[in-house]
Amino acid sequence: MAAKTAMKEPKRSSALVRRETFASYCFLLPSLIFFLGFVIYPMILCVVTSFFDSTMNRADIFVGMANYKTLFADPIFLGALKNTFVIVIVSVPITCIFSLWVSSAIVDLPEWATSLFRCVFYLPVVTGSVAVTVVWKWMYNNYYGIFNYLGKSLGILDKNINWLGDERFALGCIILILLTTSVGQPIVLYVSALGNVDQSIVEAAEVDGANDFQCFWKIKWPAIMPTTLYILVITTINSFQCFALIQLLTSGGPNHKTDTIMYYIYYTAFKQYKYGYGNAMGVVLAVIIAILSAVQFKMGNKDN
Amino acid sequence: MKNCISRRSFLKAAGILGAAGALAACGGSSSTSTAASSTASSAAASAAGTGASIKLWTYPIGGWGNDETVQNLISSFNAKYPDIKVTVEYLDYTNGDDQVNTAIEGGSAPDLVMEGPERLVANWGAKGVMAPLNDLWTDDAKKDIYASVESACHNEKGDYYEYPLCMTAHCMAVNMTKVKEVGADQYIDTDKHTWSTEGFLNTVDALYKGGYENVAAIYCSGQGGDQGTRAIINNMYGGTFTDAAHTKYTADSAENIKAIQALYDAKGVNFDPSINGGEEITLFRNGTLQMAFCWNIAQQLNADTAAAGQTISGDEIFPMAFPTESGDPKLCGGIWGFGIFDNGDEAKIKAAKTFIDFIAADPAQVKDSVLASTYFPVRTSVGDIYAGNEVMSEYSKFMGYLGDYYQITPGWTTARTEWWNMLQRVGSGEAVETAVKTFVDNANAAAAAEA
Amino acid sequence: MSATAAKKQKPLKRHPSKLKKMSAYTILAIILISIMAVLFAFPLYWIITGSFKTGAAINATTPEWWPSQWVLTNYQKLFAGKRAPLWQLAVPFGSKFSANGEPVYFSVGPMAPAAIRWMINTVFMAVMSMILTCLTAAMAGYALAKKRFVGRKLLFTLIVCAMALPKQVILIPLLREMSALNLYNTIWAVIFPIVGWPFGVFLMKQFSEGIPTEMLEAARIDGASEARTFVKIVLPMVKPGIGALAIFTFINSWNDYFMQLIMLSSTSNLTISLGIAKLQAENSTDFGLIMAGAALAAVPIIIIFLIFQKYFTKGIAMGAVKG
Repeated sequence: MAAKTAMKEPKRSSALVRRETFASYCFLLPSLIFFLGFVIYPMILCVVTSFFDSTMNRADIFVGMANYKTLFADPIFLGALKNTFVIVIVSVPITCIFSLWVSSAIVDLPEWATSLFRCVFYLPVVTGSVAVTVVWKWMYNNYYGIFNYLGKSLGILDKNINWLGDERFALGCIILILLTTSVGQPIVLYVSALGNVDQSIVEAAEVDGANDFQCFWKIKWPAIMPTTLYILVITTINSFQCFALIQLLTSGGPNHKTDTIMYYIYYTAFKQYKYGYGNAMGVVLAVIIAILSAVQFKMGNKDN
Repeated sequence: MKNCISRRSFLKAAGILGAAGALAACGGSSSTSTAASSTASSAAASAAGTGASIKLWTYPIGGWGNDETVQNLISSFNAKYPDIKVTVEYLDYTNGDDQVNTAIEGGSAPDLVMEGPERLVANWGAKGVMAPLNDLWTDDAKKDIYASVESACHNEKGDYYEYPLCMTAHCMAVNMTKVKEVGADQYIDTDKHTWSTEGFLNTVDALYKGGYENVAAIYCSGQGGDQGTRAIINNMYGGTFTDAAHTKYTADSAENIKAIQALYDAKGVNFDPSINGGEEITLFRNGTLQMAFCWNIAQQLNADTAAAGQTISGDEIFPMAFPTESGDPKLCGGIWGFGIFDNGDEAKIKAAKTFIDFIAADPAQVKDSVLASTYFPVRTSVGDIYAGNEVMSEYSKFMGYLGDYYQITPGWTTARTEWWNMLQRVGSGEAVETAVKTFVDNANAAAAAEA
Repeated sequence: MSATAAKKQKPLKRHPSKLKKMSAYTILAIILISIMAVLFAFPLYWIITGSFKTGAAINATTPEWWPSQWVLTNYQKLFAGKRAPLWQLAVPFGSKFSANGEPVYFSVGPMAPAAIRWMINTVFMAVMSMILTCLTAAMAGYALAKKRFVGRKLLFTLIVCAMALPKQVILIPLLREMSALNLYNTIWAVIFPIVGWPFGVFLMKQFSEGIPTEMLEAARIDGASEARTFVKIVLPMVKPGIGALAIFTFINSWNDYFMQLIMLSSTSNLTISLGIAKLQAENSTDFGLIMAGAALAAVPIIIIFLIFQKYFTKGIAMGAVKG
């Protein structure tokens, strides 16, 4: 966009470039201190330590790739990797589709109704993940939780289900909470994006006999594409970061079936004191995420 | 958007990381210091004290988890040593270990910590982050403190990392009102608080058939209350958790397997990975469960949600020893006292030792310190501090059932985590033999690595 | 562009004609969404009503949908808990200057219940993160968008790659670093990594690209200094972006739990999220107390959200337009 014109200017003198570089770094300095100091520098330490056997109160021992070798033979790590991806793969599309569906249904309502719905769906976000989790923990309770109570009084369940204690349900339960805390922002975004779609084109299409589905697919969908991409990126980041839910609800259990990489790093570091091993895990995850975000970013650029 | 990432710049990015790190290392500390210096001069007052200032972190050990009680004890300490300032933080059993571990790694471990040998000696002591307390263990102290307690407070080399204050026997409890209701009190020796394994299983069955769907829970979500699940399993058919020399884990013995299988098969007993020991107690108190495996005198006296010794609905809570075939229960002991983290500051270590010496060894003070905990003294010289107290005298019967204190076996921290995992695997249907074998293999590997 | 988009929104948005021909599908959808909405609002409803229930009612096996008896005991218990100075600020790097190597604290106010202190800590943390992030990101974003300098592409690549990086990945090194800087167990250990997260820079770069280069050139020819150009021309033009970033950072840091869990340990330094988690671990028997804590955490920010709802939604939406 605007940056393009700036870049296409004729070559400037090297003195000018030097001066501009200096000025630029003056502007960048405050941000760089934090970015390099608290993101990049720890990341480098993380990579370095991942080659060491590092534990509490003992000098690190260089072990080369041993941590990585153990890692890919560790069934719990592989399980955690799988769970992390299950969470991302399930929650990202559902979040996007659900919020798009809700938004398109509420966007044409009277102003007050739109804003009421938008507010309600945004509530779990502002309530805070810990407060929300505490209530969900009660709702899932094996003995007096509301799901079992409702299930039994409606005759759906004949026996209490231990939602968080049963391997079959635990991960699903966590994803459900994650969904309720992550659709708020996409709904706000989609309502705004759909509101900005040029109504005259939509009306013209309707006059031409296009049905609602065609209208949506041919006109609205392309118009909200940038929003969708943004939502995809934000939701993916969010889903990867899912930690509080697991730490507060299941601690990775039962039987490591709800471990994610984030939780397992915490677990190896502070319950098993295997710092080098935890760091190796972090590096693997960082590489995966960096590749993913580079791909996403490239795709985004292509579409533009 | 103009900027897309070329592969070349991606590689360049990786290459420059090293340089950036060096830059950040100096940038991080030097740049912000200018911002800080303007305020530092005006604010220095509050931290500057004359004597040492020490941090005490305590787990909820009876009344030692209650701020008011602890502040009173500290005031009596300060009456004698006004120069030493003690600040307290309260840990819980769910996150406390993680909190201490992050603090150690964050270079801010407390000076003093109150807990049992399983953490102070077997975990942090073994990791070398504790200061030895050998000089506090004078000959008089060794004479006065029970030998069984003393042996738990030092490592094999004879370095003491714990100075004990109080102890108790962990037991279980039943909802006596409900037990009587289903006519199962015939299985219980109410005078000795004991029962046979068969009687226990019959009681469970009677309660289950009497309409109580959830009789007891083998809670296994993690941290806290592990002694309860170990004790029920070990006692039922006379198994042990470790060998007598405390060198390896023996939970895979036929007796233990039989016990786990019996619990798994018993209707009304759930292996529940969604709750921990604390939550089991809640469920027992509110009448959902009819038995609790995570019990001791502090629970019996707790009156937070209902009158002491009663459930929310007013049912009678009756403490019981774990069931045995032999009639000779071996209860898990809880020993609690103080340890000192070696933060490299001699003055603080000295101040912390002064504190321990006053709270846990001063003849004029020990009684109050123990009373605050609601547990029992570890010294013969303290005498019967609960004379005339009916509940405590009754409970002191359990002290006679105290078994081996095996919680200082090497690899303890791993064994504890693995124990939960084992119970979770059994709960989700894995064969008991396989699950127990995995536990023993992992725990013994950790023991071998630490020994 | 964003400003015009916001303006365009109003007249285009509602067509009365649309409302008349609501199809059966739309009505069905609205009913379904209403049910969902109830589910979404339920946790909050349960927190607030639960905090006023008696111990027996809250532990009842049959849920009590509406408190039969309203009591304040839970709040009394919450506020009777541990006490801490109302406001205490750890001076960053203070221990480097103090004589005895102890951290330097700046305390104000009477002793207050710890729960109040947690709230104040959280607000300080969120506001401080917001201010620092906006400030640094606005400057850096402008430079990245409008300046040509050596290493620009490389830096941008780094930023994009680091953006999605979960903080847990660097947990151990970060903890060690904070410890080395004597920042462990101070609120700064939570704030600094939030500020370092490069999303803000990315967002502000996108916004800054909308500034016409001609204006900057004109300012330069007029002899305005770099700083003056930034304050007088750039800042006013990226104001909406700063608003969006401010809201985004505020909510994110308010909801962040992980960093706080790792970095904070003493009761008086906790944030409200950590405080509730601690209450839950300490008093699993007392659900009413936990609900009171949760209500204390949730209600103020919800009130803020409801008052500034328009700005919130606009701000969030604007971030997406540019992101």
